[in-house]
Amino acid sequence: MNEAVTARPIKISERGWGGGSRRKVTLGRILFGIGCLAIWQWAHARLGTEWIAGPAEILGRAAELARTGELWVHVWVTFGEALLGFLIGGSAGVLLPFLLRLSPRLTRALDPYLAAAMGVPKLSLAPLLILWFGIGLMSKVVFVGALVFFLLFFNGLAGVQSVDSRLVSMARVAGGREWVITREIVWHTALPFIFAGLKVALPRAISAAVVGEFIAAEAGLGYYINNARSMADTVGIFTGVVLVTALVIVVNGALELVQARSLAWRPVDRDMVV
Amino acid sequence: MSHSGRCILEVRNVVKVFPPRPGRTDALLAIQDLSFTVGEGEFLTLVGPSGAGKSTLLNIIAQIDTPSAGEIWFQGRPIATAFGNALRPGWDCQIGYVTQDDNLLPWRNLLDNVLFPLRVQRRLSAESVERAKMLLKATGLEGFERYYPHELSGGMRKRASLIRTLVYDPPVILMDEPFGAVDAQTRSQLQADLLRLWNLGRKTIVFVTHDIAEAVALADRTLVLTRAPAGLAGEHLIEIPRPRDLGNIYTLRGFAELYERIRRQIQ
Amino acid sequence: MIRAKLVLDRLLILICAVATWQVCSFVFGPQWFSTPWITGGRFIASLLDGEILHHAQFTLAAAAAGFLVGGLPGMLLPFALRRSPALTAMLDPYLIGGYGVPKLAVAPLFILWFGIGLGSKIALVASIVFFLMYFNAAAGVKAVSIQLLDMARIAGASEADMARHIIWPCASPYILAGIRISAPYAIGAAVVGELISSNQGLGYLIQAAAMDFNVTAVFAALIGLTVLVVGINWILDRTERWLLRWRRTEATRVRRFRAAA
Repeated sequence: MNEAVTARPIKISERGWGGGSRRKVTLGRILFGIGCLAIWQWAHARLGTEWIAGPAEILGRAAELARTGELWVHVWVTFGEALLGFLIGGSAGVLLPFLLRLSPRLTRALDPYLAAAMGVPKLSLAPLLILWFGIGLMSKVVFVGALVFFLLFFNGLAGVQSVDSRLVSMARVAGGREWVITREIVWHTALPFIFAGLKVALPRAISAAVVGEFIAAEAGLGYYINNARSMADTVGIFTGVVLVTALVIVVNGALELVQARSLAWRPVDRDMVV
Repeated sequence: MSHSGRCILEVRNVVKVFPPRPGRTDALLAIQDLSFTVGEGEFLTLVGPSGAGKSTLLNIIAQIDTPSAGEIWFQGRPIATAFGNALRPGWDCQIGYVTQDDNLLPWRNLLDNVLFPLRVQRRLSAESVERAKMLLKATGLEGFERYYPHELSGGMRKRASLIRTLVYDPPVILMDEPFGAVDAQTRSQLQADLLRLWNLGRKTIVFVTHDIAEAVALADRTLVLTRAPAGLAGEHLIEIPRPRDLGNIYTLRGFAELYERIRRQIQ
Repeated sequence: MIRAKLVLDRLLILICAVATWQVCSFVFGPQWFSTPWITGGRFIASLLDGEILHHAQFTLAAAAAGFLVGGLPGMLLPFALRRSPALTAMLDPYLIGGYGVPKLAVAPLFILWFGIGLGSKIALVASIVFFLMYFNAAAGVKAVSIQLLDMARIAGASEADMARHIIWPCASPYILAGIRISAPYAIGAAVVGELISSNQGLGYLIQAAAMDFNVTAVFAALIGLTVLVVGINWILDRTERWLLRWRRTEATRVRRFRAAA
């Protein structure tokens, strides 16, 4: 009797799609992708290469750049700028919230200034930094560093401020000193926030390096794209954009792997940044 | 007053006032002139209605909070006064505190959580780990050492938080409704576990609850607290012989009558 | 007493910051750092002669138009897809992929297609805001309680009733959050478009001043931009709080810091 009741199928059409339609969805995804490619190809044929470069042309250009070695130079420059800036700005941005925690008075006093600092669109600093540090590597590293610093700092601060005071009391009663509390409780509470910050910051570091190169540079993917634009080389612009996107995807994948390992204790992976 | 030993902990005329906050105009008087003593090796329960300032009192004894007036004496010395210097939570690991929430670290597995105090007190040794494992075994947590807190049931988490305090062996243990948020069946199991563990070492325990039956079943002595501001409404020696069988304690002669007397004092 | 101390602390920090700036311009020379006084004077002067307002208007117009062109469809799409989970699942990887494309790197393409005027900036802003709004609105649609919908249906509510009384109230906090989060991005994107190639807008002002080695003008324009963003944030924050006054406000502080640009 009981079994008969529980065995009754539940209507799920409103709540999600059952196992049977899984294949249909996969098929739909593939068809949609093919459709997009077809539209792209059609637009390319219709409007001409000077407006929209075709997929084949882009692949051809990328292969050619790889053969001459130019590709690796540009990728390496952009990646290097992003990575260096990321490491410098990132470590400062992670460290500072922990130091601020030691002085609630300073944190409170800084509040309005932090809100204002959040308001500055960091990307608009590029011309100033190029003015100060020249058109070479240095200005981009500083630019990326500033951007990453603010991202990680605000995320880290949110993390540090969300520490459960009951856990802190528990650790104090159990005999933990300030260092233990920082390492055991504040660090672990802040870690998901820091990772969320890293996840947002890493692709943005690459974007920032590229934007910096748009404005003034001698090498890098942004330089290549902007150079192509000034020579009305549409295939070059498209190829550059595809390469930047590919770089971002590869970097994201690497971070995903690291994150999965260090947050194993969490029940579900809630996203901390919208 | 008949204690089973000499006085280890004393609460002297403690008052606690929470200052007014924005959005709450009046200052809140949580505890009014409360005094009592706890004997060494005694199992004392404090029973009172919810919001009677019981948690505040334990916070003051555990040195997480300061009294507004009055003193706490521990082993013949004042450890907390209204004008006292910096708080020393746990009084150098002499006072353990099992809170209402289990407060397990979500990023550490069960065994690491239980060993946490030993680790931060640098007392981790093969012997102490052995003791922790013995306690885990005694409460049926064996085999779950590598589980994270979110993978454990509410009752298991409670047991883990209890063992975390027992394992470093503080002379006094405070317990703030440690079995508050679990179902009735798990609760009586946990109570039995607690009594069994207590029988192993006979620590001094100050146990706060709003459940009269629990207060009577566990205690050597029960203090009844009034609604906030908390003050003393009555004191009862519980002379049920130990070891107690919690299964049929409610049917013992005198239990119902005691229960009724405490219930009336609370109101 | 405590309040006065806080104000004093904040004043002290401000004085320290201005003093550091002054020292920097002494050490490195005012051609690199300008000075607080000259910058302040320049900012007020260009505010009075309408230069900053003119360029701010252009930037704001680009951001607002891009918001409409990109944000509105992005916001409505999850509602349109609500009843067809299979279609949602089908589009999902493409939307996630589109979100991941570094849109700022695409800016030169937009300039190629739409010229160096307003059009390319609107396209850049729209491409960024679309995805931000889509994912926030999708979270809102997901937050609609199935129990409440069932209850309403049993009570005899029509689709329109449910949209008005249940779906909108459940989803609106997410949509408003999406708007608040997107706003600084919209302005940032407009500015980047102007930095790369433009003849108007705050980004153009900054870039032109930097080409002139005029640090004072760069700083003045940056101050104008910051005031614009902080002002818009403030207005949106207030509006959101007013619209959502029925909700318990928890962790609003934490959320504020999370929406870092």
